[in-house]
Amino acid sequence: MKKSNSYLLLLWLSCWGLFATTTFARSFDDIIASNEITVAVYRDFVPFSYQENGAAKGIDVEVAKHIAKELGVTLRLRWMTADENVEDDLRNNLWKGHYLQRSVADLMLRVPYDKKYTQLRDDIGELVHEQVHMFAPYHTESWKIIFNNQKIDSVSTMAIFQYHNIGVEVDSIPQFYLMSAFNGRMRNKTKHYPSLPLAISAMRENKVDAVMGLRSQVSHYQQQLNASAYPLASNAFPMIGRQQWDIGMAVKSDYRQLGYAIADIVESMIKQGHLKKIFDQYSAVYQRPELYSFLEESR
Amino acid sequence: MITAGKTKVLSLSMAISLAFTGLANAGVTNKDIANDQMTTEDVVSYGLGLRGQRYSPLDKINIDTVKEMRPVWAFSLGGEKQRGQESQPLVKDGVMYISGSYSRVYAIDANTGDELWQYDARLPDGIMPCCDVINRGVALYDNLVIFGTLDAKLVALNKDTGKVVWKKKVEDYKAGYSITAAPIVVKGKIITGVSGGEFGIVGKVRAYDAKNGKLVWERPTVEGHMGYIWKKGKKLENGISGGKPGQTWPGDLWKSGGAAPWLGGTYDADVDLLFFGTGNPAPWNSHLRPGDNYFSASRLAINPDNGKIVWHFQTTPHDGWDYDGVNELIPFDYKEKGKTIKAAATADRNGFFYVLNRENGDFIRGFPFVDKISWASGLDKKGRPLFIDSNRPSDPSKAKDGKKGSTVVAAPSFLGGKNWMPMAYSKDTELFYVPSNEWQMDIWNEPTAYKKGAAYLGAGFTIKAINDDYIGVLKAIDPKTGKEVWRYKNYSPLWGGVLTTAGNLVFMGNPEGYLLGLDAKTGEVKYKFNTGSGIVGSPITWEMNGEQYLSVLSGWGGAVPLWGGDVAKRVKHLNQGGSVWTFKLPK
Repeated sequence: MKKSNSYLLLLWLSCWGLFATTTFARSFDDIIASNEITVAVYRDFVPFSYQENGAAKGIDVEVAKHIAKELGVTLRLRWMTADENVEDDLRNNLWKGHYLQRSVADLMLRVPYDKKYTQLRDDIGELVHEQVHMFAPYHTESWKIIFNNQKIDSVSTMAIFQYHNIGVEVDSIPQFYLMSAFNGRMRNKTKHYPSLPLAISAMRENKVDAVMGLRSQVSHYQQQLNASAYPLASNAFPMIGRQQWDIGMAVKSDYRQLGYAIADIVESMIKQGHLKKIFDQYSAVYQRPELYSFLEESR
Repeated sequence: MITAGKTKVLSLSMAISLAFTGLANAGVTNKDIANDQMTTEDVVSYGLGLRGQRYSPLDKINIDTVKEMRPVWAFSLGGEKQRGQESQPLVKDGVMYISGSYSRVYAIDANTGDELWQYDARLPDGIMPCCDVINRGVALYDNLVIFGTLDAKLVALNKDTGKVVWKKKVEDYKAGYSITAAPIVVKGKIITGVSGGEFGIVGKVRAYDAKNGKLVWERPTVEGHMGYIWKKGKKLENGISGGKPGQTWPGDLWKSGGAAPWLGGTYDADVDLLFFGTGNPAPWNSHLRPGDNYFSASRLAINPDNGKIVWHFQTTPHDGWDYDGVNELIPFDYKEKGKTIKAAATADRNGFFYVLNRENGDFIRGFPFVDKISWASGLDKKGRPLFIDSNRPSDPSKAKDGKKGSTVVAAPSFLGGKNWMPMAYSKDTELFYVPSNEWQMDIWNEPTAYKKGAAYLGAGFTIKAINDDYIGVLKAIDPKTGKEVWRYKNYSPLWGGVLTTAGNLVFMGNPEGYLLGLDAKTGEVKYKFNTGSGIVGSPITWEMNGEQYLSVLSGWGGAVPLWGGDVAKRVKHLNQGGSVWTFKLPK
C-alpha cells in the first residue's frame, strides 16, 4: 500500500513537471527568475520552424535558441497552428490564448513589423493590436518564383503564366494572386497543391513549369534541386499589394522591458552577421530589414 | 419502476443486470429509429425522427398545463470545460444520452439525473475547430452510442458502460477537418459529414456499418471527385460527383472546393433519400472562382444504399458571403387541390425559405424569412437567386494599394438569417417554427493583412444588429403561402433548436438562459424558466411512467460570442455553464 502510494506521488510529481508550463505571458523579471522562456513558432513551416525526427529545426527555432541563450534561460517552444490571419495567431498565442488551450507564450516569432499594421484601427476606431508590442524585425520577406529552365527560358513578367502551368499552395497568397490578378488571366494555368514542397515535387515531375511561394521557402527548396536547371526568377508581382515586408516579433504590451532586451539581442545578431549565417545554414535568401541600414552608414 | 408484468418474462440474470443498471436493456433497432416520431417513450434520433420535424404527439404538457411545469432534476456536465452546449439529448429505456462540449458524452438516469457514465475523448494538441468546441448530439443503434469528435473521428461506445466498442478516423484533423454534427442511423448505417475550414478540404458524406464502423460508401460533395463504395472489403469506384471536373469551377480549384456537409442530414423513408446540405465554396473570395461551384451551398439528395447523388438544389450559386447551404431540409407532406405534395423545406443562411419537391428536387416556392436581404432581389422560377451585383463583396485584388476600399453592407450576415439551429414543423398547425436572426455585416477590403507571416490583401468584416431592440426572431411560417403567422422577438441572437408538440406548444431556449414555451398558434409566451446560462441546445420531450418530460441543455457558447462587433457586446455579459435541465408537471 505504501509502495503504491509513493509511486503515485512520484507519478503525480512527474506529471506536474510535464504540465507546469506557463499559462500567462510573463514579465522579464519573471522569465529570468523562472529560468525559462516560452517562444511561439509556427508548426510544420519549413524552413522556419518544424520538427524532424523529434528534433526542433528551422530558422525561427535557431533565432529562439539564441535569444534564450543570451537571456541565460532555457527555451520552451510553443508550436502554433496557424489560424486565418496573424491577428488571430497573436490572440491565440500571445495575449488571450485559444479557447482549447488557455495558455500563451512569452514571445512570438514571425510577426509582421509594419507601422500600418501596428496602427490598424477597427471599425469603431480602436487599435486592433493594442494588446501586443511588435518589434525587432529580423529579416525582409518577399515572393519568389522558381522555374524549370528546360520549359521556360526566363520569367520576365507574370504574363508567361497565361501559357505555362504554375504550382501554388492551396489557401495561400500566391494562390489568391494567380487566381485574381489581371482579371484571372493566369487562373486556368494555376495548379493547386496541399503544400509548397508538393508543388516543388510536381515541378520535378514536369507537371508544372514553375512554382510561386515565399522567397525563404522557395530558395530553401531550391537546394534540393539542381539549381542550374531550376533558377529563381527575378520578376515583379504587379497588383500583389506588398512586394516585400519585414518579419519581426511580438510580446504582450505590458512586457516592453522584455521586448527591449530581446530587441538588443536581435540587433547584435544582425550586426554580427549571425542571422545571415542562420539563413545560409538553411539555404534561404537573407535580406536585412531597412531599419538596420544605419549599420552600413556608421561603418 | 419496472412493472410486475415485465419482470415476469425476464430471466434472473437479466433481472440482476437490470437491478445493476436500473434500466431495461433492449438495443435500438432500425424500426425504433424509423418510428421515432410516433413513439413517445423514447427519443432515439436527432430531430425526433429522421425527418427532423422536431414534433412530438405528446399533449399532457399543453397550453393550459404548461404554466405548472417545473424542473425535476438538473445535471451538471462538470469539469473546467464549459463553453457552448449545442446538444440534443436522446432517451431510451429510462437513460438519457447527451454529448457535451470538448467531445464528451454522458449517460444519465432519466428518472433521477444520476450520472451512469461519462466518456471524455482525448483531443490532440493543435486542433482548430472553427466555431467553438461544441457537439450537437449522439446517435443510438443496437447497444451503441455513436458520436463524432472534434478531431474528426467516429466513436461508438457501449450504451451500458461507456467503453469504446469501435473508433474510426473519418478524416485527418491536421488537414483542418472536424465533426460537430450528430450522425444519423439509416438502415443500419451510420451516416456523417465533416466540418472543415478553408484549408482546401473537400466535403464528403460517408456511410459506415453502424455495428462495426466499416466504411460502406463515401460521396464527395464537390464536382469532379470520385465516389467510392466498399463491397466485400473491396473499394470500388462509384461515379464522379457531377459527372466530371471543371464544369462549374475555373482551373483546378475543384480539387480544394470546400462544400463541407458539416451539419449532418435528414432522411425520408417515403422517397428513400438522405438530404445533406453543403457549406460554402473555397476560397472565400468569390472573384477567384467564377461559376456556380457545384455542389457548394446546396442540398443533396443521396441514395442511402449506394451514396449516389439523386438530385441537388443549390441555394446560393457562386457564393460570396459565406452562406453555407447546410441548414436542415425537413421532409413534410401537404395537401393542395386534394393532392398530397411530397415536399421538403429549408430556411437557408441566405435569408430565403425554400419549399422543394423532395422526390426530384424541383423548386416549388421560395420567399424571404428575414426582413432584410441585400444580396438578391428575389428568386426566379427555378429558385435561383436574382443577384444584386453591386452588393457582392468587391475583389480585394482590385483595391488601390493602401486604401481601405468601399464598404459593402450584406444582409443577412455570414452567420445567416438562420444558422445551424434546427427549426420545427407541426402537422397540427401546418406551420414551420423558424429560429431566425436579423443582422447584417459590413465587408471591406483590407490592404494591410498578414497570414502566417505573409502580407496579403484581405477582407475585413463586422457583424451588426439591424434593430436596436432585437436580433433573434422566432417566426411561425406557413410553407404554403410564405406568410408569417406570428413572431417572437429576442434581444440576443437565437442559437438553439426548436421543438413543437401536440400540446399546441413551441419550445425554445434563448441566450439569456430562458426555456420558453409559446402558444403554437399565436406566439404568446406561456412558460418561462431561467436555466442559469444561455441555451444553445435543442429541447426534447418524451413520456416516462405515464408522465411527459421535457429536457434541454443549458450552456452559453457557439459561434456568436467568438465574433466581434456590436453583436459581441450584446452577449458579453452572458455567463457560461453546462447542465441538463429536465421538467415535468407535478403529480
